[in-house]
Amino acid sequence: MNDPSSTNILSLNNIDVVYGHVSLAIKGVSIDVPKGGMVALLGANGAGKSTTLKSISGLLAAENGAVTRGELHFAGRSIGTLPPQQRVQLGIAHVLEGRRVFEHLTPDENLIAASMVRSRHDVKRNKERVYGYFKRLYERRTSASGYLSGGEQQMLAIGRALMTQPKLLMLDEPSLGLAPLLVAEIFQIISQINKEEGLSVLVIEQNAVAALEIVSHGYVIENGRIVMHDSAERLTKNPDIQEFYLGATKNRDFHAIKHYRRRKRWLT
Amino acid sequence: MDWILFFESTLNGGLIGTMYSLVAIGIVLIYKSSSVPNLAQGAMMMLGAYVVLALSKLGMPIWLAIPLGIGLMLFFGVAVERVALRRLAGQPIVMILMMTLGLEIFLRAGSLTIWGNTGQPLSLGISDSPLFLGPLLISRAHAVGAVIAVVMFGLFVLFFRTRIGVVLRAISDDYTAAWSVGISVERGVALSWAVSAGVATIAGVLWGSVQGVNQDLALLLLKGLTVAVLGGLDSIGGALLAGVLLGVVEGVASSFLDPLVGGSSRDLVDAMMLILTILVRPHGLFGRHAIERV
Amino acid sequence: MLFRRAGIFHTHFAADRALFQIPADRWMIGMLLLLALAAPFILSPLYLGSYLLPWLIWTAGTLGLNLIVGWAGQLHLGYAAVMGIGAYATVHATKAGVPWELAIVMGGLTAAVIGSGFAFAALRVKGLYLALSTLALQFVVDWTISHVPAISGGAQATFQAPDLRLLGWPVTSSAGLYYVALAWCLMVTSFMLNLRRTALGRALVAVREKDYAAAVIGVNSFYYKLVAFATSSFFGGVTGAIMIFTFYHAVTPEQFSVDVSIQALAMVIVGGLGSIIGSFFGAAFILLIPGLMSVLIFWLATHAGIPISIETLGHLPHALYGALIIAFLLVEPLGLGKIYSNVRDYLLVWPFGYVKK
Repeated sequence: MNDPSSTNILSLNNIDVVYGHVSLAIKGVSIDVPKGGMVALLGANGAGKSTTLKSISGLLAAENGAVTRGELHFAGRSIGTLPPQQRVQLGIAHVLEGRRVFEHLTPDENLIAASMVRSRHDVKRNKERVYGYFKRLYERRTSASGYLSGGEQQMLAIGRALMTQPKLLMLDEPSLGLAPLLVAEIFQIISQINKEEGLSVLVIEQNAVAALEIVSHGYVIENGRIVMHDSAERLTKNPDIQEFYLGATKNRDFHAIKHYRRRKRWLT
Repeated sequence: MDWILFFESTLNGGLIGTMYSLVAIGIVLIYKSSSVPNLAQGAMMMLGAYVVLALSKLGMPIWLAIPLGIGLMLFFGVAVERVALRRLAGQPIVMILMMTLGLEIFLRAGSLTIWGNTGQPLSLGISDSPLFLGPLLISRAHAVGAVIAVVMFGLFVLFFRTRIGVVLRAISDDYTAAWSVGISVERGVALSWAVSAGVATIAGVLWGSVQGVNQDLALLLLKGLTVAVLGGLDSIGGALLAGVLLGVVEGVASSFLDPLVGGSSRDLVDAMMLILTILVRPHGLFGRHAIERV
Repeated sequence: MLFRRAGIFHTHFAADRALFQIPADRWMIGMLLLLALAAPFILSPLYLGSYLLPWLIWTAGTLGLNLIVGWAGQLHLGYAAVMGIGAYATVHATKAGVPWELAIVMGGLTAAVIGSGFAFAALRVKGLYLALSTLALQFVVDWTISHVPAISGGAQATFQAPDLRLLGWPVTSSAGLYYVALAWCLMVTSFMLNLRRTALGRALVAVREKDYAAAVIGVNSFYYKLVAFATSSFFGGVTGAIMIFTFYHAVTPEQFSVDVSIQALAMVIVGGLGSIIGSFFGAAFILLIPGLMSVLIFWLATHAGIPISIETLGHLPHALYGALIIAFLLVEPLGLGKIYSNVRDYLLVWPFGYVKK
């Protein structure tokens, strides 16, 4: 499963992350993302999803965190010791939770700012590509990004990541705070990017329903440990996932729940 | 009403004001990339002037000492980023502000320890004879300073339109997001500090030629800060305009107030301008507002 | 092992909310108080008056500044000006015949009014603009003191302070002055210790963290910032007055210049933002360092044979303040107070290794 030279673009092997030398955030996490594939990482709040992504993109140091065990392989090479800039150059793009656009810059300038890892000759072509995917962004390209709506900011954040010409796009909760129609639009665009350009995608979501519709397989993380890994269809049919992550309300046996007989069938 | 006096104070005040802008431009530069006003800007000016002075005392002609001094101060700016700022990269702004304060105290007291407090002359080869604009008397040194300030302003406006300029502004908005798109935040901050140290050297040399090189150069921080706040902490053009404005107000007000109050009303005028700006228009004439979406 | 938590069970809410829950803490505080009260009988007047007294006064000042910088999260670049206002006001009031206890309160109130007046900026913007307005305060007060002889007796004058009188009786012995300073320091310390348990303290923390979120739950951020400034300025004013009456006995402009503001800030940073025990450590550290460094440098100079002028030695402590601020911010941004609490946490669970927080 964790053969770094196979068809996986990204392969995490038994990663442990510790914050401030004392708090263990994730333990023994192993994730594979195949080339050109789409993978979801599902979990509740505080499960360790963002931490996993930050360990891949190298942003843990900013929060006093560190990978204390395990290996990270990207495109066949080990990246555990590389600083964030070099990982971006290799092709890892991380869209942060909560958009985090450069508020005082216009969307156009946001895209330019993200082009530092590539040559200046590609800037025009990349910008056209981004505006092609996100037409609404083109219309708003000269106002200050801080004043854009949530959906437009999310599009800008994804577009900004695309400017770095990535091989792997990692999205941290792209549907956070967005209206359902907008969520559908953004997910549809992500699928489109994945199909047209063969860009591998790793998406973190609390909105499991929307995520499982577009990905090929998913991981479920709870309390810092991966508890399930399966294809998207089988996850959707799994009764535990249906009840605890997909909001299934039929056939709920409250008597069993009240007497602690309804438990998840995986070990944590 | 002595009109000649009024116009002379206005004109000279405006020229001095552009030299204040030179100090403010350094502060704005660092604010545009680190989101923190550099309280050590005055001290860096003083250090730059001392370095040039020391080089010229070693026998170097002034036109060689100045570029060399600027070069050394560029290294100094990079060193500050490497040693002091890198560790504080994710911390709240208050901590970084205090770091610049610590740097200011250290540089000022350090130079007092090494060089003492007697003012030392720094000659730039500008003659002392004043220029005459009709019946009005203008200081030649101030005029030179004003020209240099305007040139620097133009250069920096152009600079911030380039790709690197956009990157520096991005860094000041969000460090983590900058890292996530491959921007080297460390290099950006180092660049802005290095350039700011270079500008500080030029300002220090100009002011040093006017009032002598000693600890008082560092006290120009208050003027520079007032100008920067008045113009908007992140606006280069604002710094230039605000400098002229402050210079004029200071010059005119003090020429009329000094006889009444017994001297040194300039500092009071500055403090009043600072208070007024914060009261009426805190983000300055051209500054950006904090964008907060609740 | 000394600071054991095991075996401590509370049966009343009051006991649960006590300030010092661990018996070792209570013993330590008790012993320190006893030592403090007995100090005039143990130490010579020299040590009492030149070391212990200024340390206590400056601790009170540091605690007051910590209220703004550590708890409210604002930077105050003009604290010495506030202290100066209180000092001058108290001296003038005493000279005008007001009883000393009342004069001190008046001095504090004057400082509170003027000091929080400069916090008007809190109404419109936050953070660093507030800091700049305090810098403006410092310079305005500096200018006023030098240029308004009615207040200060002129730039060159030394304004003599009358005797400290409690209930009409003059207090002039070093022990008496020491007890006054001790009383004030204890009052400020107990205020700060209790701040955590009060609504004001919680409001300040809420405003510091995210003021619009605090506003949403009904905490008026402008009002609380103003209260923080007013309280801190009151403490500063009274501290300044006590400093004059018990230590300097006369007021000169240099005592409250911008360098002194920076010294106060250095004490707060070195001691640790928001840390109460840190304020004690920070004040001691900053007060002792100039003396120690001068001795050290002099010793080095005589042994290495390098002549060092008095002028050089005079500015070295300042260079040291700057270097100390930088060093502390780099190595341990939370100051000596954090180092102390690290040690304490270690002893709390020794011989085990993990602290569960």
